[in-house]
Amino acid sequence: MSVTLRFFARFGELLGNSREIDISEDTSLADLVREVAGTSSEGYQAIFNEAGSFHRYVILMRNRKRIQSQDAETTIIADGDEIAVFPPVAGG
Amino acid sequence: MLSPRELERYARQVMLFGEEGQERLKKATIFIAGAGGLGSPVSIYLAVAGVGTIILVDNDLVERTNLNRQILHFDRDIGRRKVVSAAEKLREINPDIEVKVIDATIDADSIHRLVGKADGIVDAMDNFPTRYLLNEKAVAEDIPFFHGAIRGLYGQVTTILPGKTACLRCIFPNPPPKEAFPVVGMTPGLIGMVQATEVLKYLVGTGELLANRLFLWDGTRACVEEIALEKDPSCEVCGERRTRKLVER
Repeated sequence: MSVTLRFFARFGELLGNSREIDISEDTSLADLVREVAGTSSEGYQAIFNEAGSFHRYVILMRNRKRIQSQDAETTIIADGDEIAVFPPVAGG
Repeated sequence: MLSPRELERYARQVMLFGEEGQERLKKATIFIAGAGGLGSPVSIYLAVAGVGTIILVDNDLVERTNLNRQILHFDRDIGRRKVVSAAEKLREINPDIEVKVIDATIDADSIHRLVGKADGIVDAMDNFPTRYLLNEKAVAEDIPFFHGAIRGLYGQVTTILPGKTACLRCIFPNPPPKEAFPVVGMTPGLIGMVQATEVLKYLVGTGELLANRLFLWDGTRACVEEIALEKDPSCEVCGERRTRKLVER
């Protein structure tokens, strides 16, 4: 099955802005992002901490609905889902 | 009542909002937190639009490194208080409005004295701890809060209407790490314009606000994205069983 994964801002610079991916059934949102982010060590470190969990400030959306990062491990992706990952910015 | 001079000054926008809309702007007090990259364009444009009272707060001095983006401050202002430099420019830009500036740090103690009875709070800060304080004040006092933030060529804006929309804590429960962020002036210019447009629409009562919508600007690709937001029922600031003692009077 196929899903769309979108990275915003700095994450997009490091990992590409958008891609369609074929995934196996029962893939969790966290595993999906982990697998793609793993293609760039800088990209991975931007999104995940040393323990392999999402940095607390990373925002995850599934089909435009917020998913809390602690729920991402158990959120199973469905065919056609759009997953968005973005970092809030803080400057002014 | 608008004076003949004001009617002339605002003639082209009275075509949009009518004299009634312009009167609303004149009666309004807007609190702008920060006279830097976002605070500069926000305050300039709200001033020329005729927002009657602008309260601008900052605690910094103008430095040379500010000048690539903080367009209220000129080379000759290096070393001066930002609020002094800002007040001078804004009063020259529009002598028909009242500009109040306060040289102070926004913290849990000072925020009540500073914000007062503003009709709106504009987030022109450069850090999340102060933004969270402003958000708590906005929620506690039911004051609309116009959030904006930038980094590099990226920016985000949303309009928080306490009780109706997600608050800043619902949207960003955890702050991104503190850093000396890279920035070029166009980004806070553009994001500040979106914030100022939101303030204007809110005060005049026209258009559709960025309520429960996060506007995301990607200047590297010239793309705008929008993310739907919703209140977090368990939010520690605005949730049904708020766990956090708000910064109330």
